[in-house]
Amino acid sequence: MQGDFFQLLKEQGYQFGQPAAAGSGVDLPSATTILAFKYRDGVLVAGDRRATAGNMVMYDRTDKVLEIDRHSVMAIAGVPATAYEMVRILEHSFKYYRRTQLQELSFEGKLRAVSKLLKENVAAALAGTGAVVPVFAGYDFEQGAAKIFFYDILGAEFEGVEYAVSGSGSPTIRGILHYVNTWGERPLAVMTEEEATVQALRLLTSAAEFDSATGGVNREASLYPVIKFITQEGLRTVPDSTLKQLFETKVSRHV
Amino acid sequence: MYEEPYRWVEAVGNRRTYLDEQFRQGSPVVALGYDGGILLTTVSKGTSKLYEIYDRIALGGMGHPADLEKLRFSLLEMAHTEGFNRSPSDVTGSRLVKYGIAPVIKQAFEEVYKAPFIVRIVLAELGQKPEKDTLLTINYDGTFEELKEYAVLAATKQAQARMQEYLKAQKPSPCPLEQGLQLALRTWAIGSLAHQQDSAEASADGGHETSRETIASIPDQTALLAHLREVLADKTLECAVLERQQVGSSKYRALKPAELARLLPGDFQTVVNR
Repeated sequence: MQGDFFQLLKEQGYQFGQPAAAGSGVDLPSATTILAFKYRDGVLVAGDRRATAGNMVMYDRTDKVLEIDRHSVMAIAGVPATAYEMVRILEHSFKYYRRTQLQELSFEGKLRAVSKLLKENVAAALAGTGAVVPVFAGYDFEQGAAKIFFYDILGAEFEGVEYAVSGSGSPTIRGILHYVNTWGERPLAVMTEEEATVQALRLLTSAAEFDSATGGVNREASLYPVIKFITQEGLRTVPDSTLKQLFETKVSRHV
Repeated sequence: MYEEPYRWVEAVGNRRTYLDEQFRQGSPVVALGYDGGILLTTVSKGTSKLYEIYDRIALGGMGHPADLEKLRFSLLEMAHTEGFNRSPSDVTGSRLVKYGIAPVIKQAFEEVYKAPFIVRIVLAELGQKPEKDTLLTINYDGTFEELKEYAVLAATKQAQARMQEYLKAQKPSPCPLEQGLQLALRTWAIGSLAHQQDSAEASADGGHETSRETIASIPDQTALLAHLREVLADKTLECAVLERQQVGSSKYRALKPAELARLLPGDFQTVVNR
């Protein structure tokens, strides 16, 4: 196939998704809450920053909302080692395609590339050493809209028409998203950037409340979730200063 | 018949004559540093001659499109596997040239039973700091040169020398993009006019050296613009930049007609938007 970077890697002996027998009692770093929903101008993608291994907090500054190119991100839940490798492969694949074929890979082509990698990874996912459940969001120039897709570990792709969630904290916020979107004052799709940011902060704080593997906001350490917007103009990350201000005025409740 | 060393040298010499002849119809390429990065300029017909190779590396070429395409693909493959397996900062123009394509081009050139690559290439690399910017030129025999500030590709040595002299005399420092672009266009026109002159002379007296004084004078701005206008009637101006301020890891950007029109002053406008 023309312009296929993954194929090129494989021809050179690169292996991805090889199952390794999971040793008993090995706690692999995992767990997370990631979410994406459509707002007025595009898609918001957010993720907490905690990486855990069993009961242990491995790291509190993980970036789980990873930029693949100027118009697409992959938010990751699952084993970070595999997820980061997938993002690296995707990043190089999209660039390689664009540079060799002298045109941008279509949005559908990008979705297929994510599916394909997950499928290659099935053995490792089932062995328990490499399960990744990502949310992919990007701007589809053919349709003129930002879109959200989520996957299972086998590589099946589903469109999140209004929102999508993944990770151990996701059951908590899935219900909230449904409630807010259906009976809230304003549905998600008409929210402004600021309203959307406030919702994302509240959702992640709720997830952290009920899921020990999700890190919320740590104001002492100035640790805020990662929140990004995808619009026709490209990707934008909400700066910590904005998150801090919104958290203090619209999210935290002083008892 | 090429087994004898003398014959081989003769055959390689013939190749040079043959290859030099192949570039006669080619369009020069101008690469120069400006205050925000590196600018590449050429005029092409049909197939593009400027390409993105990697995050900070761009390619400009002259010669046969199929040969250029072959080398472009091997550069892309090398750059991307290296960038993936090591890191993007390990992908450098100088390594791609010295250990990558230069030996391949040289080998093809010297294997007299096989076809050589009909190409001249300039590889522009945007350094992390402006003083690290490099321009590498490679000839069809595999010889390469590492340059700063500016580099040109042309069909003949004379044309190349005239373009370089012009750039040396005219290039301001620092050089904003607008000025760089105008200078690049004028330099391109000088190269293109020199091509015409060289081929006219070659056909006039069977390739013998003629009086050099006609070549010594550099045409004035009006003559250069007139030439550009004439050439661009059925060809396309192609410009691309490696831009230091570009958001994200890829720094390459092709300049679109609207942007070119904005960057060029009135008298150039008539050249671009016929």
